[in-house]
Amino acid sequence: MPLGVKIPEKEVRRYMGLRGPVDISPDTDAMIKKAINALEKDCSPKHVSRAFPVTVEGNEVRFADVVIESRSLARNLAGCTQCVLFAATAGPFCDMLVKRASVTSSAYASCCQAAGAAAIEAYCDLINDKIKDEYEAKGLFARPRFSPGYGDLPLENQKDWFRLLDITRNTGIELTGSLLMVPTKSVTAIIGLSPDRLPCVRQGCESCTMSAACTFSRKE
Amino acid sequence: MDLRTRLGKEWLFCDGGTGTILQEKGLKGGELPETWNLTRPEDIKAVARAYFDAGCNIVNTNTFGANSFKYDNVTEVVTAAVRLCQEARHEAGRDDDAYVAIDIGPTGKLLAPMGDLPFNDAVKVFSEVIRAGAEAGGDLVLIETMSDSYEAKAAVIAAHETCDLPVIVTTVYDESGKLLTGGSVEGTVAMLEGLKVNAIGVNCGFGPDKMIPIVKRLAACCSLPIVVNPNAGLPRTEGNRTVFDVGPEEFSSIMKEIASLGVHVMGGCCGTTPAHMAALIKEVSPLPFKEPVRKHGTYVTSFSECVEIGPKPVIIGERINPTGKKRFKQALRDNDVDYILTEGLKQEEAGAHILDVNVGLPEIDEPSMMENIVFKLQSVTTLPLQLDTTNIEALERGMRIYNGKPMINSVNGKREVIEAVMPLVAKYGGVLVGLPLDEDGIPATSDGRIAVAKKIYEAADEYGIPRDDIVIDGLAMTISSDSTSAIATLDTVRRIRDEYNGHSILGVSNISFGLPARELINSHFLTMAMQNGLSCAIINPCNDHMMASYRAYCALMNKDPQCLGFIGAYSEYKSDGTFGGASSGASGAAAASGTGGAKLSLAEAIERGVTGRAAEAMEESIAQGCEPLEIINAELIPALDKVGQGFEKGTVFLPQLLMSADAAKAAFEVVKKAMAGKPRQVKGKVILATVKGDIHDIGKNIVKVMLENYGYDVIDLGKDVPPETIVEAAIKDDVKVVGLSALMTTTVVSMEETIKLLRVKKPDTKVVVGGAVMTQEYADQIGADAYSKDAMQTVRYCDEVFGV
Repeated sequence: MPLGVKIPEKEVRRYMGLRGPVDISPDTDAMIKKAINALEKDCSPKHVSRAFPVTVEGNEVRFADVVIESRSLARNLAGCTQCVLFAATAGPFCDMLVKRASVTSSAYASCCQAAGAAAIEAYCDLINDKIKDEYEAKGLFARPRFSPGYGDLPLENQKDWFRLLDITRNTGIELTGSLLMVPTKSVTAIIGLSPDRLPCVRQGCESCTMSAACTFSRKE
Repeated sequence: MDLRTRLGKEWLFCDGGTGTILQEKGLKGGELPETWNLTRPEDIKAVARAYFDAGCNIVNTNTFGANSFKYDNVTEVVTAAVRLCQEARHEAGRDDDAYVAIDIGPTGKLLAPMGDLPFNDAVKVFSEVIRAGAEAGGDLVLIETMSDSYEAKAAVIAAHETCDLPVIVTTVYDESGKLLTGGSVEGTVAMLEGLKVNAIGVNCGFGPDKMIPIVKRLAACCSLPIVVNPNAGLPRTEGNRTVFDVGPEEFSSIMKEIASLGVHVMGGCCGTTPAHMAALIKEVSPLPFKEPVRKHGTYVTSFSECVEIGPKPVIIGERINPTGKKRFKQALRDNDVDYILTEGLKQEEAGAHILDVNVGLPEIDEPSMMENIVFKLQSVTTLPLQLDTTNIEALERGMRIYNGKPMINSVNGKREVIEAVMPLVAKYGGVLVGLPLDEDGIPATSDGRIAVAKKIYEAADEYGIPRDDIVIDGLAMTISSDSTSAIATLDTVRRIRDEYNGHSILGVSNISFGLPARELINSHFLTMAMQNGLSCAIINPCNDHMMASYRAYCALMNKDPQCLGFIGAYSEYKSDGTFGGASSGASGAAAASGTGGAKLSLAEAIERGVTGRAAEAMEESIAQGCEPLEIINAELIPALDKVGQGFEKGTVFLPQLLMSADAAKAAFEVVKKAMAGKPRQVKGKVILATVKGDIHDIGKNIVKVMLENYGYDVIDLGKDVPPETIVEAAIKDDVKVVGLSALMTTTVVSMEETIKLLRVKKPDTKVVVGGAVMTQEYADQIGADAYSKDAMQTVRYCDEVFGV
């Protein structure tokens, strides 16, 4: 089953550490395209999502049986009455492709790695948009998605996602003892839903506390 | 009555959902259902009782997730579950015709290499549960909801090794008929039949209607009784509740339709209730019952591929074999796994369907090597493997951890060999190559070989190995010493097909030993053998002549629809005999070798990252009599340095650095080949490892390539490496520098632990750390000697430590 969404080449280049319109050799360019094609064709993405009522008081966020103290999440969810938890993975193919390329060409391995990162993001965007549209029809407006490990939301909370969504059974993602996900190209997130439409909140890097130190951060 | 005698002889019915019913009774979201075996036994017993009352013959114990990852008291939990189920059966008055199934679900962990659970650890975890269940008196082992065939294999082996109860396995396919790990219905069935389970089926996933296409495929390939246990439709959430939409009536009417497809055991999964089962049993039990029919396919599988032997000749790549190859022997002695993997990947790109794996060398530990290479190959290629060894321990270790149903090379007519090899094939499953030679040697005529083949077939019967899983070798021997030998071989191949309806195999190139222009003889012999019915050809698929014979044969014999394979391979063919792009290069390297590098010098080729040209230029220099080390120091390292400095200054980006590194690596490979067997000069030994708990190792792999290019001998311990392993390795080889990588703050903890342990056990070793979250400050905090922000800095640091 293919990925079902285009992988933006610009994003792949960003994940490879290429800033701006850098001139790269035709060989490198061909490799990037080859990695993108391989992933678009052979990924088997899966996802699971579930909606819960949510309450936010101060820095305390509550949904299902979960209580989370997190300033950044509370800010993200301010004004929300509902939330959707989701988990998504690009599937095991990407990890194998990277491993395989690591044997023969580290350059191609880094292309596959970057294309895989862009692939799961693109796939998450797709799901995110569907959720957004579905709830807008019901008069609820989506906030930018937010993930455990982001800002001051501890990675430890991954466990709640895995429990509430039965992620391993539904998508094949495993949470390791050190709270990493396998396949590695996997994402867990929460999307807040509010009856108020907010002016566009900036997404991703701009809202992350690690932005300044991060090599991959979007900044010009 | 024993379940084995009833399976496949009459309708039998499994139970329905448990988890969903317990949720109705108040089981909370994250609560472990099996705890109720101890805390709310009456509720658990009531569920089982309801299923026995509904008429189910096979009722599961409440042990789906009862493993040691979730429970400290597995035995207690499992024993209680079995007892409750037995009591329910007794109270229902069903002691005589119903069975208590020890229910085994997935561990929730992914097995290595995809995840972090080693195969043999998975076997241990399952064994603990099954042992407790069997000792408490369970009647069968029901392994269910498996979405990874490898984990299913671990559970089956655990069952067979701890008890002799019947084993049923049901797996979960998605709508395209694939397991989560990519396996197909046919491949999964082949593997499970090889593992000698008693029934095979599907469960969970989605509703019964969506299972129909999958059940049809199962019925077409499976010789064992077939089990179908669907959900009551797809789960949906309503508020905080999970609901299922297919009611008992609808469920049973679709199940009635499924029953007619050639199914033998039926039941339900999530969302189904005793009412569903009662309705199902009422609908299905009056229907006529069709016993399973033996199918005659021969399949070799990996975790995702399934190669059928028979419809058209199968190409088995012969290159992973040290015989007559100095460079390969050197790689085995140096534990240079990447070299061996590259040999595999090249053959895959050239068109091999299966890879032969022979890693035997007198001076190495062949069993460990076999296990390691099988594991590593299966983490980079989807091709099935042929395990080729005479070392029985190596064979068993390879077969055990093999993910799928392998080919085994080989057994022969000698009683001693039959008694060593066949029990392993009977236990683990496999397609077995039989060499028609015995205590009296190699028969010269086809009559003699067919007689030994007959003996091998009969021995297979004795061990319960289906004859479909035997492939007889025609024994190609050189025509240079006996000019009738090709004729005897071809006769043997033809007679195996005609007299035994059997499959054959040849190590094709043996036919020309001692002759010039061997590929001419080999490729024509291959054509003749295929024309005589050859099923499997062990050849070098990187040889253009051999693949030309194969592709031409397939096109001519209507085994290549619309000649698409042939056209695809030879659209660039030139009549001067150059073959075009059909079979060149390994993955990735192929993309990098291309454009306009024809006249570049070695240094230029490295700077621009042109892999193919870099290797070629190195070959030319060596051919001209230049000393390899001289070339490395005068051309290769300075070129690499120039790119490295550009990278450090920010004028060259990572992809370009890596292209250059790949080109340098290719040039080094040429040097290694030239110097195979001679002592090497290295700057020093460095250990690299991605620390325990961490599985992101691409950065570490890049550092490895760079260090090797700069003349270091790298001991790559891989990813998720415990501190003890790193320390042991450092002590063993007295290694001066250890490089550690970690991606996340959660795994930096293991980095710190590793450093602490090194300080105690091997204080003179320096530690350099790197990874996404690492900073100089963080590195200081955990006590590392140095922080490297990238691969170049690691090289510089090592140069500093080793004083070069």
